[in-house]
Amino acid sequence: MDVKPDRVIDARGSYCPGPLMELIKAYKQAKVGEIISVYSTDAGTKKDAPAWISKSGQELVGVFDRNGYYEIVMKKVK
Amino acid sequence: MASKVLIVGDGDAGTIMANKLRFHTDIKDVEITVVGNSKEHYFKPDGVHISFSMIDYKRSVKPTEFLFNYGVNYVRDEVTRIDVADKTVSTKSGRNLDYDYLIIATGDRFTPEDIPGYETDAKHFYDLPHALELQKEIKSFKGGKIVIGQASIPIMCPPAPYEFTFLLEEYLNFHGLKDKTEIHYIYPLNRVFTIPNVSDFVAKRMEERGIITHTLFNVESVDPKNKKIQSLEGESINYDLLVLIPPHRGQKVITDSGLADDSGYIDVDKYKLNYKDYDNVFAIGDATNLPVSKAGATAHFQSMYLSNRIASETSGNIYNELYEGDVACTTVTGYEKGVTLYFNYNKPPKAKFDSKLDYFLKWQSADTFFSSMVRGVA
Ligand SMILES: Cc1cc2nc3c(=O)[nH]c(=O)nc-3n(C[C@H](O)[C@H](O)[C@H](O)COP(=O)(O)OP(=O)(O)OC[C@H]3O[C@@H](n4cnc5c(N)ncnc54)[C@H](O)[C@@H]3O)c2cc1C
Repeated sequence: MDVKPDRVIDARGSYCPGPLMELIKAYKQAKVGEIISVYSTDAGTKKDAPAWISKSGQELVGVFDRNGYYEIVMKKVK
Repeated sequence: MASKVLIVGDGDAGTIMANKLRFHTDIKDVEITVVGNSKEHYFKPDGVHISFSMIDYKRSVKPTEFLFNYGVNYVRDEVTRIDVADKTVSTKSGRNLDYDYLIIATGDRFTPEDIPGYETDAKHFYDLPHALELQKEIKSFKGGKIVIGQASIPIMCPPAPYEFTFLLEEYLNFHGLKDKTEIHYIYPLNRVFTIPNVSDFVAKRMEERGIITHTLFNVESVDPKNKKIQSLEGESINYDLLVLIPPHRGQKVITDSGLADDSGYIDVDKYKLNYKDYDNVFAIGDATNLPVSKAGATAHFQSMYLSNRIASETSGNIYNELYEGDVACTTVTGYEKGVTLYFNYNKPPKAKFDSKLDYFLKWQSADTFFSSMVRGVA
């Protein structure tokens, strides 16, 4: 991934729906155009976070399998 | 000299903890003090039934002071600061209480101010005054569109919104109002409950009963003028009656004392319940940010673990057991139908069928609670 996130939320070790709620909290604080990345060890986040990103009309930059955790990256577009 | 155990908070967690520890320890060895600011102990699960006038609220309330067993000192006061470095707890009336062991059990706080428009129009059943107010609304309801859900996650007793919804549907049916009413259920995640298998069970039942669901609905604001609720995701729904569980946070004193995460909850060790590297400071019940349901049943299991541990330690023994995240919670799924959810950190609950027996467990739980559980017996 070559985009550098403006905000990184490390929600590793937190269980569903913790990581998604953290992402939503960061989204509320972010400005339009910011890139937010969330780290999660909870497999559910891989599905839940992209579903929320799509429903809220934001842009999903990517879902990445890292070493022992997932990274979900979004861009706040509105 | 006796070890001093100080418990902050006189709700479910603080009371059960004090009474259990009293059973396990000798008054000569362990001095137990609870400091809390409530006059009455309200059994919150009854709020669901009270809303539909299905039980008399008077059976759900007891004087707080009356619930402590012999040998527990109770101080009614409001805690204004907790200083874990200095091992003192200060109160509004100017007391400074010291301790060898501190247990924080201050529970949740509602923050309706987090949702613009909430306070003007939204109703809920999460405390007694609001449950009684909602009871009146429901009694005078003649049909229309009801929106029900929670404003955010986490909340106390995550199943309570679906419990309310199922009873509402039965109530409307019974009073011949079902055909004149639309029930809309909103939920912040992309399902109708946090735990997928319970969610499947609840979603199926909602569909069978004609309840319209809106998932991924995180409430942004309420517009009382146009009777509309708006989500962060860009959806809006009109309502005639809005039943919305307010946002929750931990108590302000926890934040003011520098012990909280940004939602006001205390980060404690998942298995040992102690705060950071303090081996004499613990948090239990809704005050923690543990990945378990905020429930009285959670507080009950945590008190079992912690009272055993402190009793062992104060008598010079080593205690190696761990708290495994256990919860057992009976929830209403309809009139005379209930399902009991058992789970811990490693095993999610299973919901396959509901039963009348489970419903009656729930129905009489205030009696069980006040006569045995809160007393530390069960
Ligand atoms: C509608 C509803 C239904 C529910 N149903 C169920 C159910 O079916 N099963 C279940 O297990 N759970 C259920 N619960 C959840 C359960 O009631 C709570 O999880 C439980 O009360 C938590 O206990 P606690 O001691 O942590 O917090 P509380 O019981 O809220 O107690 C906190 C105490 O701390 C005191 N306090 C706070 N701040 C201070 C301060 N600064 N100084 C002094 N004192 C302070 C408060 O006055 C209060 O007495 C339900 C809750 C609701 C609202």
